Amino acid sequence: RNEGMDLRVELDFLLLQLLKDLEQLEAKRQALNAWVEEGWLSFSKARYAMGAKSVGPLQYASHMEPQVRVCTGEAQDGLQKFWMVRAALRRRKGLPRTPEPDSSPAPQNPLKWFGILVPHSLRQAQASFREGLQLAADMASLQSRISWGRSQLQELQEKLKQLKPRAP
Amino acid sequence: MAGSGKLMAVMGGKDTMTGFLLGGIGVLNKHCQPNFLVMEKDTTISETEDTFQQFLNQDDISSILINQHALDALWHCIPAILEIPSKEYLCDAANVSIPHRARGMFMSENLH
Repeated sequence: RNEGMDLRVELDFLLLQLLKDLEQLEAKRQALNAWVEEGWLSFSKARYAMGAKSVGPLQYASHMEPQVRVCTGEAQDGLQKFWMVRAALRRRKGLPRTPEPDSSPAPQNPLKWFGILVPHSLRQAQASFREGLQLAADMASLQSRISWGRSQLQELQEKLKQLKPRAP
Repeated sequence: MAGSGKLMAVMGGKDTMTGFLLGGIGVLNKHCQPNFLVMEKDTTISETEDTFQQFLNQDDISSILINQHALDALWHCIPAILEIPSKEYLCDAANVSIPHRARGMFMSENLH
């Protein structure tokens, strides 16, 4: 009976955590969608200022290095976590911040693909999508938690079933 | 590739793509395949599938952002994963993932 009660308490806790995570995932999804839509609106404004064909794939650079990357690791609870990191120049200790001769070129700000002076709306679009990227990493972490939570819940439900007395 | 961390790949329409590339995730150089695909009206299903498979096979990609309508066309690319027993570890029939999911997490007899 005690084992059954312990399992029920654990099941309750897991279920509540799962529901919280699902709620959080949905909130982040809505926030991501909102940032992306705001970015699209900013693009419309930028096109109004720069010309209809001035913001799009035609302006992409022929060489790109990522300014941001996704790091993965184990969170405190042992689950996989994702987070965004900005690229930095490599430097030796004690020396001024200059690139080593054999290091990769510093990643260029993609805003430069669109000209030297870009309208504020294009900078706003960049800011919106940067927010979106952070949210995407958070969502990946939550999806990983939810996936784990579901499998744990199912395991506990099976254990509880096995504890129930069988009909003669 | 220099720098710690992996890449985020993107498959989507022009504006979504431009936005996330502005965000700084794009890679395009002679040493590696691009981590993005701009999907336009004339982008074929096979091109979409090939790119998706390529992203799945790349070790330096940790996540893929993809438009929902594109993903709807790609479910068949994700291989069926079938759990099989091994000599060392017996297959636990109660925990095989698909039937387990089918039983439903919130069926009343599974709750106390």
